[in-house]
Amino acid sequence: MYAKEFTIQNRTGLHARPASDFVALAATFKSKIELSRAGEADRYNGKSIIMLLTLGLMQGERATLSAEGEDEREAVEALLALTAGFVD
Amino acid sequence: MKLTGKPVSRGIVLGRVLKYRPFVPSVSDAPISTEDVEAAWARYDKTVELARQELDRLEARLLADSPDKAKIVAAHREILQDPAMDEEIRGLIGARTPPDAAIERVYGSFIELLGRSKNEMMRERASDLVDVKNRLLRCWAGEPERNLARLEQPVIVVADDLYPSDTVSMDRSKVLGIITQVGGATSHTAIIARSYEIPAVLGVPGALAALEDGAEIVLDAVKGEIVLCPTGEECAAYAAAAEQVRENLRETAAYLDAEPVTLDGVRAEVRLNVAAANDFELSGAAHADGCGLFRTEFLYLEGDRLPGEEEQYQIYKRVLLAFGEKPVVLRTLDVGGDKQLACLELPHESNPFLGVRGLRLCLAHEALLRTQVRAALRASVHGSLRVMLPMVGALDEVRAAKAIFREEGEALSAAGIPWNPSMPVGIMVEVPSIALIADLAADEVDFVSVGTNDLCQYLTASDRMNPSVKPYHQDYHPAMFRALGYIARSFQAAGKPVSVCGELGGDPLAIPALLGLGIQKLSMSRASLAGAKRVIRSIRMEDAQALAQRVQSLKTEGEIKACLTEFARAHKSAAPG
Repeated sequence: MYAKEFTIQNRTGLHARPASDFVALAATFKSKIELSRAGEADRYNGKSIIMLLTLGLMQGERATLSAEGEDEREAVEALLALTAGFVD
Repeated sequence: MKLTGKPVSRGIVLGRVLKYRPFVPSVSDAPISTEDVEAAWARYDKTVELARQELDRLEARLLADSPDKAKIVAAHREILQDPAMDEEIRGLIGARTPPDAAIERVYGSFIELLGRSKNEMMRERASDLVDVKNRLLRCWAGEPERNLARLEQPVIVVADDLYPSDTVSMDRSKVLGIITQVGGATSHTAIIARSYEIPAVLGVPGALAALEDGAEIVLDAVKGEIVLCPTGEECAAYAAAAEQVRENLRETAAYLDAEPVTLDGVRAEVRLNVAAANDFELSGAAHADGCGLFRTEFLYLEGDRLPGEEEQYQIYKRVLLAFGEKPVVLRTLDVGGDKQLACLELPHESNPFLGVRGLRLCLAHEALLRTQVRAALRASVHGSLRVMLPMVGALDEVRAAKAIFREEGEALSAAGIPWNPSMPVGIMVEVPSIALIADLAADEVDFVSVGTNDLCQYLTASDRMNPSVKPYHQDYHPAMFRALGYIARSFQAAGKPVSVCGELGGDPLAIPALLGLGIQKLSMSRASLAGAKRVIRSIRMEDAQALAQRVQSLKTEGEIKACLTEFARAHKSAAPG
C-alpha cells in the first residue's frame, strides 16, 4: 500500500466538478483507491462519486489518499497532482 | 362540463388529451431463493445496461442544442456506474434481496444522507440520485421511458406539474396545449409555455381525474376554461373563436419585422430581453433594435462553480456578435432576493428582498464583480456594449462600482488588452430612493432603465411572490406612472437615454402611456416584440402624450386600467379578447 496526506486547497472542496474529475482519473488505475478524513478511521472508495460526495471534504481539510495494487504509487501521485491543480 | 384554471399563455385549441404521468415505482420485498441469485445478478446487470443506453441516447440528442442539459445526463451516467453503490447492490442481491428492492434500499440510503446535508450542492445531487433510481426501477419493470420527446400525434398535455426535465425534451411541434393541476403565472411551466407560444391553463385541480386519455376537449387559454365532451355546436363556436385568436396572432406576427414608428413618424426602439443567450433567444436579435436587458444570472445559477473571466468573456462576445452594431445592455449579476446561488454560500436573511441583493451583493463580494467587469470590458470591443447596475439605492454605490470599472480598465490597459474606454455605464431603477433622486442620478450615470416589476414591488410594499398581497401589487398604480414620468423627465433634461425593461415595457396596454411619458426605448421578451410594434404603429405620439398626462392625474389603478383599455380599444392597438 502507498499513502500520502494532503490538504484540500480549492474553494469548492472535493465536490461537483473536482470530484467528477477525481473519480474519472481514479478509474483509470487498477489499484484499489481510498480516501479518509484526517483523524477518522472510515475509508471511502476513491472511484465512487457518491462516496466522495458523502465524505464531503471542504477547503482546508486534511485527508489521506491511499492506493493498493500494481500501480499504487502512480495512482496516488497522479491524483495528488490533480487535486493540487484544482482552482476555483 | 367545464374545468377552470389560470390562463398563462393565450390561445384556444381543440385536441385530444394525453395524460402525462411519470413512472411510479413499486418494489417487491419477498426474498429470492439462493438458486436465483445468479439470475438476479444477471438481470440487474441488464437493467443497468438498459438505463445506460437510454442515457447515452438522451445525451446524444441534447448535445446539439443544449450542452448544459447534456452535462446533467453525463452526471446521471456517472451515478449509474458508481462502483461503491454497485458493490452494495450486488452484496444485497447475494444476500437474497430482490434486485429492485436492493436498488431502492442502496439509492435510498444515499438519497437520505445527501438530502440531509447543509450543503446546497449535495442536496441537489440527492435529486439526481432520485432521478437515476427511478430510471433504474422503470427499466427493471420493463416500462418504456415516458416523456414528451416523441409524440405520435398532436396532443393537449395534462399533468400534475411539468418539470424542467419534461419541458426540455418536449416535442414542441406536437404539443397543442398544456394543462397542469398546480402552478401559476410565474411558474416554470408558464414561462416555457409563453416563450414557445403554447396555449396553457395552469392550476386546474382534479384535471387528471376528470380528463380521459384520448378524449376530445377544448382548451380555452383566453378565459381559462377546459370544456369536456364539447357538443358539435360548442366545437364550432370554439373553432371560430380559436380562429379569431389565431388570426389576431397572425396579424400581430406580421409586425415582427416592422419598424416601430408611430403614425406621426416618431421612431421608438423595441429591444429584446435576453436571459439564457441560447440560439432561440439570440435569433430574436434580427427583429429587435438591440438588447435592452442581458441578464447574466444564468451563468451563475446553472453551474456549481462561479464562472471564470474567460468563460464570461466568450459568452458576452457571442451575444455582442449576435447583435452586430446594435446596442447590448449587460446587467451585472443580480442575485439575492428570491434568487440564490449554489456556488456561493450566502447567509440566511429574514427579508431577502430588502437584503443583500443585486449591486449590494456584488459590492460585498468584490472579487466576483471585478471578474465580471473585466470580462465585460474585454468584450466591449466586439460590439456596442453598455453595462447596467441593478438594485441601486444611492449614488455612493454607483461611485464605488464605477471606481471598480476604472481600476479594472486601467489594469487591462496596463496589460495591453484592448477595451472600449467610452463604454456607457448606467443603472436600473427599481428602488424608490433612487427613483426620487433621478435628477441627481442623471448627472452621474450614462443611462437609466426602469425595472418595473421590482419598482412596483418596492413602491407598493407588496412582495411579488406572495399571492395574498396580489391585490396590492398594482402594476398600473398611479405612483408607478408618476415615478416613470419623473425619471423620464429627469433623464431627458440631462440628454441621457431612458428605457423600460420590466414586464410593463412589453405590455400592449401600457406602451402608449410609456411613449407619452417620453420613454421610447422598450425592452421585452421575444414573444412580446411583434405585439409592441403593432401598438406603436397604430398610435400617434400626440395622442400618447395626452394619454400620459391624463394617466398621471388619475387616482386609482382601476381608473388607469380603464383609461388605458379605452385608449387601446379606440386605437385598436391592443389585441382584443
